[in-house]
Amino acid sequence: MKTDHVAGAAFLALGVVVFAISGDLPFGTLSAPSAGMMPKVVTALMMLFAALIVLTAGASAPLASLDWSDRGHAAAVLLITAVAVALYQTLGFVVTMAALVFALLVIVERRSALIAAAYSIGLTVLAYWLFGTALKSPLERGIFWF
Amino acid sequence: MTETLQSLALGFSVALQPSMLWYAFLGCVVGTLVGVLPGIGPLAGISILLPITYGLDATKAIIMLAGIYYGSQYGGSTTSILLRIPGEASSVMTCIDGNAMAKKGRAGAALCIAAVGSFIAGTFGVLMLTAVAPPLALFALGFGPPEYTALLVLGLVFLAYMSTSSLVRTLLMAAFGLLLGTIGIDVMTGHFRYSFNIAELGDGIGIVPVAVGLFGIGEILATPSRQVTGEVIRPKLSELWPNRAEWRASGWPIARGSVLGFLIGIIPGSAHIISSFMSYALEKRVSKHPEEFGHGAVAGVAGPESANNAASTGAFVPMLALGIPTGPVTAVLMAALLIHGVPPGPTLVNDHPAVFWGFVASMYVGNLMLLALNLPLVGLFVNLLRIPYAYLYPLIIMFCVIGVYEVNHSIVDVWIMLIMGGIGYLLKKFSFDPAPLVLGVVIAPIFEMSLRQALIMSDGTWMIFIQRPVAAVLLAVSVALLVVSAVTYLARRRDWRAKLAAEAGEET
Repeated sequence: MKTDHVAGAAFLALGVVVFAISGDLPFGTLSAPSAGMMPKVVTALMMLFAALIVLTAGASAPLASLDWSDRGHAAAVLLITAVAVALYQTLGFVVTMAALVFALLVIVERRSALIAAAYSIGLTVLAYWLFGTALKSPLERGIFWF
Repeated sequence: MTETLQSLALGFSVALQPSMLWYAFLGCVVGTLVGVLPGIGPLAGISILLPITYGLDATKAIIMLAGIYYGSQYGGSTTSILLRIPGEASSVMTCIDGNAMAKKGRAGAALCIAAVGSFIAGTFGVLMLTAVAPPLALFALGFGPPEYTALLVLGLVFLAYMSTSSLVRTLLMAAFGLLLGTIGIDVMTGHFRYSFNIAELGDGIGIVPVAVGLFGIGEILATPSRQVTGEVIRPKLSELWPNRAEWRASGWPIARGSVLGFLIGIIPGSAHIISSFMSYALEKRVSKHPEEFGHGAVAGVAGPESANNAASTGAFVPMLALGIPTGPVTAVLMAALLIHGVPPGPTLVNDHPAVFWGFVASMYVGNLMLLALNLPLVGLFVNLLRIPYAYLYPLIIMFCVIGVYEVNHSIVDVWIMLIMGGIGYLLKKFSFDPAPLVLGVVIAPIFEMSLRQALIMSDGTWMIFIQRPVAAVLLAVSVALLVVSAVTYLARRRDWRAKLAAEAGEET
């Protein structure tokens, strides 16, 4: 199995899904194209290019050769950021972003909690002041009103 | 000519006002910082500061945001030369010979050549913009939907042709981007497309969350801090001046890079990135000592750095004269103008001369500011680069969230950014270039509208694209590029761009 087999197949699958959920979009005619024309044409093109990638996949690297050593870092960063995004409007900028930076430094980077706390709080308070006062573009306030 | 000079004088009367100078300076400083710091490109920088410009008038807003764009091209070289990490995507090629020069004790000379080359190319680009944009805008007043459709097709094909990955992969990414760009309400019929009852998706997917996700978050996900060494070479201020041989070696590469960069810049695509690759290849090809490339060749710094600056200026030509974004950065700049009620396009020069000429004049001033800023402050930038990456990337993520959220105050946009970050990570793993995807998202609304209008105009016949001379020429060039690519592929000759990309990958 080569990398391009997987990549091409993924885009082919995406194309099938897009066509499946495009049923209610009318294509129209060439003289009066409707809302479905563009998405269906570009999806067909995407599937065509994906099929070409699958057909020429022999020259690509073996799937097993892909380096996934950074997957732990990527997953942790993505998860922590997702939690912060989920809480952003409720808790506001200062609390959420300070927690985000703190969590990334302590959980992902294994840095000292004390330094991480000082850095994250200092950074977010500075950014909050910079945007809200100096740049007159106030950032999100949450239930704590800051 | 006299009329152009008079208009330019009007522009300088606007650009030299203290408040305009302040915003140009602010843009240049932020742009340099954005370029210096790895992982945060001009797009993220502009997106973050876009909401701040809501309270400004259109001229100040565009002057500041454009300063960030071309300022980042200056700043990107500093990181490439001193740290061997491209501060900005277009500085990838500078890593190779710039860092090799630094290791030979010529870091100061490399920085100076990069800054002077950027200045000359940037100024050349603005001169060309001054000369080309107004007549092009006049010519484009006669453009209709078929011409716009053909121009956008040429942009996509050209991007695919010049891309470092294969033609098919690039076109696949562009098609994916065009598909994402169709999400939202169809403005001609009112149909909701793929919005899944999420109100925010009715307006479509924004360029900012897609681009910041792919280029900002995606890059961070793929870069664990243990892979960033942080060994910064610190040049002495007294060593900044190149010697006579280095000046001589940089003259023609700067000239060639300026012309090449500007020409590539005016064609839709990620011009500033492609131009530096092409300039490096050109310099290597014309050099009497190609074996020096990779080991500290002055031309390997002077050419690409000039090219990316000229290209970033050239990208303003289609944006201002035709109202067509050449990439995500110019798309955001266009959005900034639209927010202020100033539609870019053929009517801009006549309807808003103070904005157009003030903006052009500010770029002359901005390039001077950047030259004055970059060399004396190199010590400050070196200190910035010494901040450990582990502390830097949480800061970048925070700014990405601010930048995306503040554009529309939409948390859905931030979720889109995160999803695109994950997609960007996977695309990187499978060697797909995300730039065509972003360009697809950018041009999708204009492309769809012009294509449908052209078909309606012609009562459903494709012949309209052949009967109209300008459209026919543009499409003929597109077909020629595709045929050349296919022939090259069938001949199984390995493309020089792929070789260059592989070399760059190995070197960095």
